[in-house]
Amino acid sequence: MKHLSEEEQLDIYYEEGSESAQAHLKACRECAAEYAKFKRSLDAIKPEQVPLKGSDYGEQVWERLQSQLVPYERKASGWRSLTNWISWRAAVVAVGCAVLLAAAFVGGRFWEHLNSKRQSDTAANAQPQQRVVVVVLTDHLDRTERLLVQLNHANSADKAENAQLQSEARELLASNRLYRVSASNEGDPALAGALDRLERVLAEIANDPHLTSADLDRVRSDMNTSGILFEVRVLLARKPNQESGPTSAKGVSI
Amino acid sequence: MQGSDHSIVRAVLAGDKDAYGALVRANSAAVFRVAYRIAGNEADAEEIVQETFLRAYQRLEKFEQRSAFGTWIYRIAVNCALSRMGRPEIDAEFRHGEESDPEARTVQVATQDADPERLLLGREVSAAQEIAMKRLTATERCAFVLRHLEERSMGEIAEVLGVAPNAAKQAVFRAVQKLRRELAPLRGNA
Repeated sequence: MKHLSEEEQLDIYYEEGSESAQAHLKACRECAAEYAKFKRSLDAIKPEQVPLKGSDYGEQVWERLQSQLVPYERKASGWRSLTNWISWRAAVVAVGCAVLLAAAFVGGRFWEHLNSKRQSDTAANAQPQQRVVVVVLTDHLDRTERLLVQLNHANSADKAENAQLQSEARELLASNRLYRVSASNEGDPALAGALDRLERVLAEIANDPHLTSADLDRVRSDMNTSGILFEVRVLLARKPNQESGPTSAKGVSI
Repeated sequence: MQGSDHSIVRAVLAGDKDAYGALVRANSAAVFRVAYRIAGNEADAEEIVQETFLRAYQRLEKFEQRSAFGTWIYRIAVNCALSRMGRPEIDAEFRHGEESDPEARTVQVATQDADPERLLLGREVSAAQEIAMKRLTATERCAFVLRHLEERSMGEIAEVLGVAPNAAKQAVFRAVQKLRRELAPLRGNA
């Protein structure tokens, strides 16, 4: 039978012994006697009497200690506060950059969207506008053509017909002036020139207070109304082609 | 209490140095007791107390909020005492005392007769125990004090000493063996 070692006795003493060691201690008289001696020897080692300290001992310790302590705030004013400051600044700069980047991105997207919309709107608007201008101008040229045909075949003796011709000329004169100026501004010298010649004919007819057959003959011959009529017909033939072509932007805007 | 300790620590770390006073007042007695038991004299124990609280203050940022401040400061106190006891000049001082005073190893025997004699004998037993304790290494003494006098578990002792539990157990065992051997004359005559 193996007896308890001193180490096992120590474990039992501090209540950390194994169950088998405890059982052996109960069963073995030799070990029990040995353990009793062991226990007595350890029991004899009593805690030293610690000197009594008054209730103000903690206060005394604190009084001696506090002069040696540096407040954490003051300690933080050195390298730590510098790194804190740097890290704060870095964080602020980083956040600022992120906000700017996001704003630029969103702004870019919005601007692109707005621009494309505007462009599409402009393109969409320009097309009908161009179409309207061409239609209106064509209408004007049609009426002018009819007037010139009527003038070339007018019966000088018919005063009523002359008066109607004069009235029509007055109406066309105002609009013709407007188209001529617009064509000139748009950089269309051919149209502007034709409209200018037409304007002079219209002005002659419209502004004559007593339009006689002699006056009409003079206008027809002097102002070459047949030539102007030809020009008007050329313009009428040109306008629908311009509308569909890529250079259709050239025209008259009111 | 633990919650208030943690709030005090936070206040100290926020710059309120005076708040640390509350922790010092509350734990000074416990720190002094363990310091005295390990150091064996009041002067060293006082220095250990000061050093403990100073070291704790300097390391307050490392204090883990999940543990109690009392436990944490206790560990620091044991470490301060251990490093102080382990200093060569202190060991040399002990050895010098031992060699220059051979009579110190002579232990008078206690009897259970007259009270004055018992008192005198009691003092001698205490002196013998003190001498025996001083002959232990710093680690053995520390481990024994924590286990036998402070009634700390082996796990706690191992943690405080920064050694494996088995090493802590061995340190206690070696201390017990040495003390029993040193104090055997007392037992034999008791």
